[in-house]
Amino acid sequence: MALMFLLAVYFLLPVYFLIVAATKPQGDLASTNGLAFSHFNLFENLRILFTRSDGVFGRWAVNTVIYAVLGAAVGTLISALCGYALAKFPFRGREFLFSVILGGVLVPTTALALPLFLLFSATGLVNTYLAVFLPSIVSPFGVYLARIFANAAVPQELIESARLDGAGEFRTFFSVAFKLMTPALVTVFLFQFVAIWNNFFLPMVMLQKESLFPITLGLYEWNGQTARAPLLQESVITGSLVSIVPVIIVFILLQRFWRSGLAAGSLK
Amino acid sequence: MSNTARRTRLAALAAATGIAVLAGCSSSDSSDKASAPSCSPAKGKVTLQYWNTVPGMDKVVDLWNKKNPDIQVETKNISNDQYGILGNALKAGKAPDLAQVGYDELPNLRTQNAFVDASACSAAGAAKSKFVPWTWSQTSFDGTGVFALPQDTGPMALFVRSDLFKKYDIAVPKTWDEYAAAAQKLHKANPKLTITFFDPNNAEWFNGLLWQNSAKMYGYADDKWQVTVESEQSRQVADYWQKLISDKLVRTDLANGSTQMYAAYQKDQIASYVGAAWGYSMFRDNLPKQAGKWSVVPMPTWGANGSSGDWGGSTVAFMKGGKHLYESVKFNTWLNTDPEALALENKLGGLYPAANAGLQLPALSKGVPYYNSEKIFDVFAASSKKIDTSFAWGPTQKTVNLALQDAMAKAAAGDGTLDDALAKAQAAALKSMKDQAIPATAGK
Repeated sequence: MALMFLLAVYFLLPVYFLIVAATKPQGDLASTNGLAFSHFNLFENLRILFTRSDGVFGRWAVNTVIYAVLGAAVGTLISALCGYALAKFPFRGREFLFSVILGGVLVPTTALALPLFLLFSATGLVNTYLAVFLPSIVSPFGVYLARIFANAAVPQELIESARLDGAGEFRTFFSVAFKLMTPALVTVFLFQFVAIWNNFFLPMVMLQKESLFPITLGLYEWNGQTARAPLLQESVITGSLVSIVPVIIVFILLQRFWRSGLAAGSLK
Repeated sequence: MSNTARRTRLAALAAATGIAVLAGCSSSDSSDKASAPSCSPAKGKVTLQYWNTVPGMDKVVDLWNKKNPDIQVETKNISNDQYGILGNALKAGKAPDLAQVGYDELPNLRTQNAFVDASACSAAGAAKSKFVPWTWSQTSFDGTGVFALPQDTGPMALFVRSDLFKKYDIAVPKTWDEYAAAAQKLHKANPKLTITFFDPNNAEWFNGLLWQNSAKMYGYADDKWQVTVESEQSRQVADYWQKLISDKLVRTDLANGSTQMYAAYQKDQIASYVGAAWGYSMFRDNLPKQAGKWSVVPMPTWGANGSSGDWGGSTVAFMKGGKHLYESVKFNTWLNTDPEALALENKLGGLYPAANAGLQLPALSKGVPYYNSEKIFDVFAASSKKIDTSFAWGPTQKTVNLALQDAMAKAAAGDGTLDDALAKAQAAALKSMKDQAIPATAGK
């Protein structure tokens, strides 16, 4: 119990620091204790954050939501279809295909950013929404999880009776299998959502136009300018706090799915 | 200037910068190599690319774009890894028309053939009289062309906590000898107090000190670079700071611009700061409670020699591959000499202008409330006029800086001296030039 408590403190301390720092005016950042509140300036900081450079931060926030929500939704759908197909349709080379996909789990996304850039550069997609969106909808781990779960949660008999009733394969998938797979799919969605939300390297490689940036990249760019414009530092901190709020909300809302999904993945 | 940012560069970035190199291989387009720069206006609308690291520069460019529908400018901020991005774009043949380049990086990029000589445009040469003399000698490489226009400078001065000096009844030092004496007195009066700090990881700052003592790093004679990183003048500077470090009269544990540095100033542990004009907002914004306690006075001088140093500052260079030289010169001249543009750059980006017209900006002739309403920019303007015009950077400045920092950090830890650092930097410069087949020899 004591250990758990210690670990909790250890993991929550940075978040606490972020909250404290986001409430301070720039002048108090260095000159007051980092873990103690001083002047409460959060609302002023927020106002500055959202009005700086014609409100570009709001734009970044919208971009991040587009990348993360849309990317995770489409990515989850693709993973579900793919995992279901791998689980329920026997075909030649199925296990080989599955192994190749599993191998994809081992390749870190950072390592893929380079080749992706070259591909996108050749097709003229660099510096567009698609440059970040397309790679985001691919998730080998999601396919893996979806297959495992489809195997366990969707009885073959159910599929067959659906077919007997005259449902096509897609109808069977969307009306029967999809619902049974929901807990796993929420897990996949969460994984993808967080991965895209936190993805920094891919947008950095792909994007040049400020108006396409997600929050991570935008804050990074601001942080690079603090030597010239010290007041940007406070905006970077406040912006960081704002950027983690949606992730926390999504987690709290979906955490029961998350837990059951994780357990499913580990057991089967 | 943004040396902290440069230092804390993510390792990941190194990988990112590799990308553009690779991209260059796949799409190399060297069609523009043969054509000599000419200065004829384009027909119809032109779009220029301008890469920089200045906060708020997009607003300045908006102003230009509104007035000049036929010469539109697009900006890109390259604050993170400025030279990595530029270098890769050059290799890929995709350099912008105009890019921000620090004075100390000009020779390096010039040896890499990164610039276009804009002197084909008479307007470029005519801009000479509009700039502070030392800046022009840097961008024209002693009148051999016009490769860039000066944008901002960092004339150095001494920021002092006048209240602390008054409290311990010590006169504000005018020479480096007086400064060392004051350091001793302050430390004696209050053992927790040091006169300043020496950041061993900040070669750019140290170079400013060398510049002040006319410790020219490089020369060019007999078709060869003369490397003089180690010279009588530079050793004088190194010995001076070595003594302060050895006697523990300056701290060596603080990084410039770090939170720890501001905390130390906040706790009244440090009494002065050897800084540059663009840094005036650092204290104002990070230590608002010390308003009225700071003054800006001329940098301490070496004996009767009253010259000053420069730390940082940048130019806007004409990059190779740009196809619209006429328009680039037009925009670049406006950007760096027009009072309206200069005022905006100063307000949003904190730039201290290199143009003579800029020194008379209303914002730079008023007193600054934080500094007791003193006219601190008069001090910087005077400093700017006293900067040695013959100082020259060399083509391997980055190597020199890294070698310096490496050895200075050791010296600060008691391993070797700052003199050794100069010797190592000298050797590193010679070796690096030899590796690149640049003819060089140790100057005297």
